Amino acid sequence: MTGFLVKRFLQALVVLFLVSIIVFVLLHMLPGGPARAILGPKGTPQQITDFNHQQGYDRSLPTQYFMYLKRLFTGDLGDSYKLNSPVFELLKQRLPKTLLLTVLSTVLAVVIAIPLGLLQAVRRGKASDYALTGLAFLLYATPVFFLGLVMIILFAQVLPVLPAEAPQGESVGELLSEFSGLVLPVVTMAFGIVAMFSRYMRSAVLDNLTEDYVRTAMAKGQSNRRIMVRHVLRNALIPLATLLGLYLPTLFSGALVVESMFNYPGMGLLFWNAAQGSDFPVLLGVTLVVGIATVIGSLLTDVLYAVLDPRIRSVA
Amino acid sequence: MTSAAPTSTPVTAPGHEEAARATPSLARRTLDVFTGNKLALTGVVLLALLLLFSYVGPLLYDTEQTHTDLSRANLSPGTEGHLLGTTDLGYDMVGRLMVAGQTSLEIGLAAGLLATLFGTVYGAVSGYFGGWVDAALMRITDAALAIPAMFLLVVVAAIITPSKGVLILVIAAVAWLSPARLVRGEALSLRNREYVQAMRMMGGGGARAVFKHIVPNAIGTVIVNCTFQIADAILYVSYLAFLGLSIPPPSADWGSMLSAGITYTQNGYWWLIFPPGIAIVLVVAAFNFIGDGLRDAFEVRLRK
Amino acid sequence: MTGDAGDGKGTAAEAKDHPDMTEPQLDMTEPQVTDARPGAPGPLLSIEGLHVDIASRDRTVHALDGVSLDLAPGEALGIVGESGCGKTMTALSVLGLLPPGGRVTGGRILFDGEDLATASAPTLQNVRGNTVGMVFQDPLTSLNPTMPIGAQVAEPLLLHRADLGRKEAWARAHDMLRLVGMPQPAERMKAYPHQLSGGMRQRVAIAMALVCEPKLLIADEPTTALDVTTQHQILELIDSLRATLGMAMILVTHDLGVIANRVDRVAVMYAGRVAEQAPVRALFARPRHRYTEALFAALPERAAERGTELHTILGLPPSLTTRPTGCRFAPRCAFATDACREREPDLAADAELGAGADAGLGAEAGAAHRFACFHPVPYGDAPAEEVVTPPPAAATEPGGVLLRLDALTKEFPLPGGPFGRRRGTVSAVGGVSLTVRRGETYGMVGESGCGKTTLGRIVAGLEEPTAGTVRFDGRDLAGLTRAERRAHRRRIQLMFQDSTAAMDPRMRVGEILREPLVIQGVGSRADRERRTAELLDAVGLPRGAVHRYPHEFSGGQRQRLGLARALTLSPDLVVADEPVSALDVSVQAQILNLMRELQREHGLTYLFISHDLAVIRHLADTVGVMYLGKLVESGPAERVYASPLHPYTRGLLDTVNVPDPAAASAADRAPLSGETPSASRPPSGCRFRTRCPLAQEVCATTEPPVTTPSGEGHQVACHFPLTASRLTSVV
Repeated sequence: MTGFLVKRFLQALVVLFLVSIIVFVLLHMLPGGPARAILGPKGTPQQITDFNHQQGYDRSLPTQYFMYLKRLFTGDLGDSYKLNSPVFELLKQRLPKTLLLTVLSTVLAVVIAIPLGLLQAVRRGKASDYALTGLAFLLYATPVFFLGLVMIILFAQVLPVLPAEAPQGESVGELLSEFSGLVLPVVTMAFGIVAMFSRYMRSAVLDNLTEDYVRTAMAKGQSNRRIMVRHVLRNALIPLATLLGLYLPTLFSGALVVESMFNYPGMGLLFWNAAQGSDFPVLLGVTLVVGIATVIGSLLTDVLYAVLDPRIRSVA
Repeated sequence: MTSAAPTSTPVTAPGHEEAARATPSLARRTLDVFTGNKLALTGVVLLALLLLFSYVGPLLYDTEQTHTDLSRANLSPGTEGHLLGTTDLGYDMVGRLMVAGQTSLEIGLAAGLLATLFGTVYGAVSGYFGGWVDAALMRITDAALAIPAMFLLVVVAAIITPSKGVLILVIAAVAWLSPARLVRGEALSLRNREYVQAMRMMGGGGARAVFKHIVPNAIGTVIVNCTFQIADAILYVSYLAFLGLSIPPPSADWGSMLSAGITYTQNGYWWLIFPPGIAIVLVVAAFNFIGDGLRDAFEVRLRK
Repeated sequence: MTGDAGDGKGTAAEAKDHPDMTEPQLDMTEPQVTDARPGAPGPLLSIEGLHVDIASRDRTVHALDGVSLDLAPGEALGIVGESGCGKTMTALSVLGLLPPGGRVTGGRILFDGEDLATASAPTLQNVRGNTVGMVFQDPLTSLNPTMPIGAQVAEPLLLHRADLGRKEAWARAHDMLRLVGMPQPAERMKAYPHQLSGGMRQRVAIAMALVCEPKLLIADEPTTALDVTTQHQILELIDSLRATLGMAMILVTHDLGVIANRVDRVAVMYAGRVAEQAPVRALFARPRHRYTEALFAALPERAAERGTELHTILGLPPSLTTRPTGCRFAPRCAFATDACREREPDLAADAELGAGADAGLGAEAGAAHRFACFHPVPYGDAPAEEVVTPPPAAATEPGGVLLRLDALTKEFPLPGGPFGRRRGTVSAVGGVSLTVRRGETYGMVGESGCGKTTLGRIVAGLEEPTAGTVRFDGRDLAGLTRAERRAHRRRIQLMFQDSTAAMDPRMRVGEILREPLVIQGVGSRADRERRTAELLDAVGLPRGAVHRYPHEFSGGQRQRLGLARALTLSPDLVVADEPVSALDVSVQAQILNLMRELQREHGLTYLFISHDLAVIRHLADTVGVMYLGKLVESGPAERVYASPLHPYTRGLLDTVNVPDPAAASAADRAPLSGETPSASRPPSGCRFRTRCPLAQEVCATTEPPVTTPSGEGHQVACHFPLTASRLTSVV
């Protein structure tokens, strides 16, 4: 396994490096360049020239990139010119909240998707399979914000049982204490991803059911239920770890939309507000952090996969 | 060779059917499986209806779609001949949906096709050459994939003012990654197939391998993925609109109509929300149904 | 529950301690079993008129159409037949394990008095793994990849022995693994299937099937996926376990060699029915059904001598989507009359034998030999003499050297390691030198992983050698320019094992056959079409085939296409890599005959690579034997087979299953033991020394030189070659 992990870790490092380059390139694509991005629209030409010289933006690009990296390592992502606060501080505050939303809705989605996919696989070709497959596609085809809107109309307006706005607590603990406010954002986001997980489960279970080892398990005299639980489910679930890693970017994209929709105080909302106000340091800071989070997240899911799958865990 | 049953009349006699099935052509069987898939047929019908609605509709149902008329804003459905009421700027809702549909479909199709084309070439090169070329090209896609598409789109759209062309390019720029990875995987396995080796035995070169064997055998995957790409591109357009980054009025797409409607959630103007929302769901679902049906059909090809 | 009746009388632990204790399992009362033969012991399993349909998307196959079989307690029954004959379906239906779409549509499966065909799910579950154990073909895919093997072996105990605790079940699984010959069973309990070799995996599968001490073991092609030596070890193991546990067995196989040596009785199946059923010796000595006769005659082992034409069965088995009228074999049978085409013969006792046609055997033997044929093979004829065709004109004498390999070496880097860092190499071919003369067939034989395929691919130009030279027609291939190399391609062609994979599924046959000409720019369009038609004629396929896709052909037909394509450019040398190992015996004979015929007509040279000693012996003029990347022996075929010089060759010949029950029990056979070591760490000195009965110190230190102790032309790489003529092969 160590060979696999070392290789995977080095790959992640290379990818991280490339992510930083992409963000660096975006920084230079900004109208007016980094100076405009950091000084804001009010900066005078003189200020810009001074800033460029001071910060080394008049030097060669590789040097600039090196300096950029150096700043990154000290946690300097610039200052928001709308919120008067270092971007790093803002992110430190917001990132855990976004992770909370992502984790809760992923767990919910997986919990719904596993039995759903199993049911579809077991009832394959029957009316219920068709109905659920059709439903899954419709759900997949629904933009998350439209789904959220329908939720708000249904559960906050028609049946006013849940608040339409997320809690505004300062910390994760405070958010959790106002749990009812979390319900709609979490459920909306979970519904947005449940379709693809249940599709995966359905096909993974069907694939596994055709495997010879299932026949062996039957030949031992196990009930279908036991075969499902002890053999098929286990083998179908292990690759789910990699799938989660693969879908991390989609999850973060979903979080961006859901947070804007429900005014949830996470990184996505920060990002959205920054986009409205052209707050470039925040935009790029969030982009970089989300990229890093994705790389680390998918590295972790691959490690998890390697731990779960004995074929990788213990190569003879 | 057995002659196929006449296509103009449906096959009824069981004996006839048996004869036709003795040696069905590959294309015929693919078509059979596709048309046997109810969801896929639903998708085709849905798509046809939406295309008719968006492109033939305006010819039959002429409405004012360039000048705003705030005095007639937010009329509820049924008033003064406005079947679905009017928008917040006073456009007729039905007519607006038709025009917006054209934009959504065009951006979706163009971006999806562009992404597929570029992704296929990129993936085929990466997979066919393998080794270092492959490793380098794939790390680039990894990095591009690591930044969630929505974030990248928002940053880019915040820098550049959106237009139809810009949206197509920008969406294609994030969407090509998935076909690239997929085709790369196919190419990696196809280049080791025995028929490619057999061709090398005869003295054939790389170009023949790619164009005569690898691409035709990967085309199923490419086509299926293309339909999914189109669906995703239409979704991206709507997300960008929701995040406030759409082509400025007077042009419109379903996404921008929907996000405009969201402002009026509290007022109960449901006709501003549901028609465009449902239109998006239907068109995206239609492409997904078709893609899923095609995947089944192509799998049958490979199975036997 | 009948399934639990045997509980408490014998446990695995006891059986292990008292290997002779077979009574408890056998001493079963047989309630309500109706038996056709009065006086005989009640059958353990009785299949009566079994019908099975397999429905798929667009058609229904009547896979079994009235199969009847009996099995007495403790008896071993072999079911043999070609692919699609229904042998596996018969085995699977006993435990209700038919594939999706499969359904028993008629008949009964009485096991211990209970009809399993109509039994409820809980009843079936109680029988499966408990009183009936099953072993499948592929030991890798049959085991759950993510579960330790200990847990998999213990599972049936936890299901069927509710009184056993987890600890006790684990202990018994451990004992069972030791019983099936798993080294260090305690440690291996925690291992996963992928960490074991193929042979060890099959041992695990057997342990799993037997851990509850069933009364019946069903083994479906249990050794087909394994090498000859492993195959032998597994079959021996099953034999000894059967004796220890006193259980009955159904052995399903396509391999007549396997069936000849391991069972009491044989049922031959054809197109969903039992064609013939008889005690094993009687069947092999005197087959009565015309199909059985033809099947035996098609074996390369049965050909009168090397180089003669093999007897073949024309055509293909009938499609089972519609029920054929008359005898199912009639369309392919040389003796068929109108009666055969109109009426289906019943499986009936041998009346001739029963009437005392043979003095040594009585009515009982007649009843035991049953067949379904209107025109059975008459008594008195030795079947082999009747069907073997006279040998054709002697093959042309081999000419000068066409191919010379000199110290050819190929090493593959072991995968893994970041940045392509090498973690070692696999020595696939470890310095092989040989010569192939023009017009001969060089047969390369060896077990999987011995490097014979890699060698073939190097010769064919698909791999570059790490070291050594390939000289073709006097020229070193490494010295060719790009253009020369391209042109050279025409002269060597490769024939693949799996012609399904070797033909682009998107191309029609015409395009596939023309492709070599197009690539080499040979001839006009009309020329190419003419050439394609000629080739189809030559391999015996209709010209209309050009419009069809490869998947529309049967395996044998596709192999004909593969041969046609290999011949398109009129090559000098054809490298044939296991070209018949995926085919049934009767089809295999057709392809071998065709290859021989085309060789004669076109003066072809073959490098024929196979694991099958009988096929190589039948076809090859010169034989090379490879072991772990080394050519250990080579020489004229008859000399190598008659008096092998290398202990490995000798062991291989002794290990192979001979389709003759009489020859199999010869006492002087010394089959190979152990497993082939990994090619990434080959043993020092002689690579065979770890399994060699004659190995001494020098074998570990010095690589054996190539010598010719029994005269020119017969080479061996061994310190202690078997020069004495005391050894005579039985193959």
